[in-house]
Amino acid sequence: MASQDKKLENYEQNPYPTKEFPSRTSQGRPLIDFVTNDWKTDPRYQEELYTSDESESFYYREEDDYWVHPRWKKMISYKRVPRRIQRYLLIYVALVTVTWVSWTWFIQPDWEKSRELERQLNTKPLSVFGSNMRPEFSDMTQVKTLDSALLPSEHRLGQRLVVVGDVHGCKEELQKLLEKVSFRSSTDHLILTGDMINKGPDSPGVVDLVRELSASCVRGNHEDRMLLALNDMRAHHAPLQGPGEDPGRTVDTLDEESFSHGDYKARALARQFSDKQIRWLQQCPVILRVGKIEGLGEVVVVHAGLVPGVPLERQDPFQAMNMRSIDLETRLPSDGREGMPWEKLWNHEQAKLRVNERTTVIYGHDSKRGKNILKYSRGLDSGCVNGGKLTAMVIEAGKKGKAKTKFVSVKCKNQKSKKQ
Amino acid sequence: MKLRLNFLLPLLVALSGLSGALPAVRRRDADIESLFGISRLSRDYSGKRGDPRDKYFHESTFHPHYDGRFADKILSYDERRTHLTALMQTYLSAMNDIGAETWIMHGSLLGWWWNRKIMPWDSDVDVQMSYQSIKFLADYYNMTIHHFRLPGVEKGRDYMLEVNPHYVIDTIEDKLNVIDARWIDTETGLFIDITTLRRNRTAEALGLEGVMMCKDRHHYLEKDIYPLRDSVFENMPVKIPFAYSALLEEEYGARALTRTDFENHHFDQDKMEWIPLR
Repeated sequence: MASQDKKLENYEQNPYPTKEFPSRTSQGRPLIDFVTNDWKTDPRYQEELYTSDESESFYYREEDDYWVHPRWKKMISYKRVPRRIQRYLLIYVALVTVTWVSWTWFIQPDWEKSRELERQLNTKPLSVFGSNMRPEFSDMTQVKTLDSALLPSEHRLGQRLVVVGDVHGCKEELQKLLEKVSFRSSTDHLILTGDMINKGPDSPGVVDLVRELSASCVRGNHEDRMLLALNDMRAHHAPLQGPGEDPGRTVDTLDEESFSHGDYKARALARQFSDKQIRWLQQCPVILRVGKIEGLGEVVVVHAGLVPGVPLERQDPFQAMNMRSIDLETRLPSDGREGMPWEKLWNHEQAKLRVNERTTVIYGHDSKRGKNILKYSRGLDSGCVNGGKLTAMVIEAGKKGKAKTKFVSVKCKNQKSKKQ
Repeated sequence: MKLRLNFLLPLLVALSGLSGALPAVRRRDADIESLFGISRLSRDYSGKRGDPRDKYFHESTFHPHYDGRFADKILSYDERRTHLTALMQTYLSAMNDIGAETWIMHGSLLGWWWNRKIMPWDSDVDVQMSYQSIKFLADYYNMTIHHFRLPGVEKGRDYMLEVNPHYVIDTIEDKLNVIDARWIDTETGLFIDITTLRRNRTAEALGLEGVMMCKDRHHYLEKDIYPLRDSVFENMPVKIPFAYSALLEEEYGARALTRTDFENHHFDQDKMEWIPLR
């Protein structure tokens, strides 16, 4: 206790004494024994001086101002992580985000949809369109078969089949197209996919031209309407119809009104044709069975389309001349565009059949979708009469017997704008 | 004497004129009394009493598809089928002879689509006619009796063509007379409802073209009906509307054209026949 008091006294006299530490040699004790640990007891160290820049609390106040704590910052500082990895990391993060977004927003719904479609395509409905007796009409042939001698094959190398889409009275363009494919009537055979007449400038001319070339044809919806209107005309009042009747008139007399039902246009068109031309148009079947061509399988020509799984003889003729889409649930075709395009279903169904049972359909009718070449369906109506193109599909036997096909087309004048 | 004659003649003329001018009590329809000798019935089952005065055709008291002036009971399934077939055949034959333009519609068209026959569960037949044709029938063939010799029917059978005088009224507001004419089997009371396809004047007033309608509120596009097609129905030549599949789909939906089981019948694809499931 006495020594304590003495120390205090010393302190007051000289607050910072330069202590003379005795050396070990002089006293014979280790230095540690001289440690005073003043800071523990000295009241001066207790409060006022207790702020060290080494302690954490020294920085405490400023800590909130950092976005990343300096310690963390240090850990991920630029110097530690290589630039390249930083860059890649950024790219990867961006990639993952993009993938995730496109998956959840685009790909997954699409995938789900196509899976649903696949399911619908593959579940054949229990009751399908085409179980009925095929509607039959007088003056209409359902199916005709092409003479097999006209088909291109190994033995007849030069022989070609030329199938032309909807001509619609565009005789000039048809002539140009035939020139372009250098059509020779001695070896080549011409087939028309229907709608050869109406709308365009020279319907009788087209019929004459193709009749001279002894072409084959199918009945299109325009031929159908015209021929039926003609039937009606002849059945009811052939004697009433004067030779000087103006085909362009739209106002009818009472007699005319009683029978014509406003289909003046079809009737006016019908009057342009001679009996020979009418008879030729009349013999066009709804469906033309072309036959087996190596590389194409069974080939069929029809104006609008076919329902897969229904034999040609039992296809509904109205729909064969008018369909654009098929309702997947019932396989019911319609001329609207609400369901699935018929050719899509057709191709899907063909792919499921054995190779030698598959059928390729060549058709026209759908100028809106234009030239439409799929594996088992070839749409050839490229809208000639509206200023589009007239397209021909040329089928020729290749060297190994497999048929080669090519598509040739010519540009057309726009008949619609010309009229206006 | 001379004087009296001179006096009498104008008097007679005046009297006849007067009698014509007086409001006479005229029949509004062909009732059971006026069909004496044609119908075998003496009591009227037409259901006329419960109907409004302006309604021309009536549905019988026992079934809406029988004419109560000619029948008092419904037929059995098989009887009805044979009689309906004969009704259809005779109608088509008579209209063909007269030259009236008519075609099948609704249930009959669906029957034609399946197998060119009336569907066995159908208890009526639906046909349409052009306005010109119904006018022609009204002018020259109303209330005519057509006698047909039919196989298996000894004395043959009489059919009556009756045109509703309201056919001239061109509006769907005339709700009581949506049927323009009937082809009636005078023995069984079965009949064919004939409706006229007319121009839809309300739609035409709105600027639409080629729009048609019937008084039973069915609307059609002219181009879907005309030009008519020639086919066969119940072994008789028949006219079919142009866009028959589209019309059927619109009226009955896709299922009616694909389902092979309907009304307790199954469509046998080998026989092409609706077979009743009994």
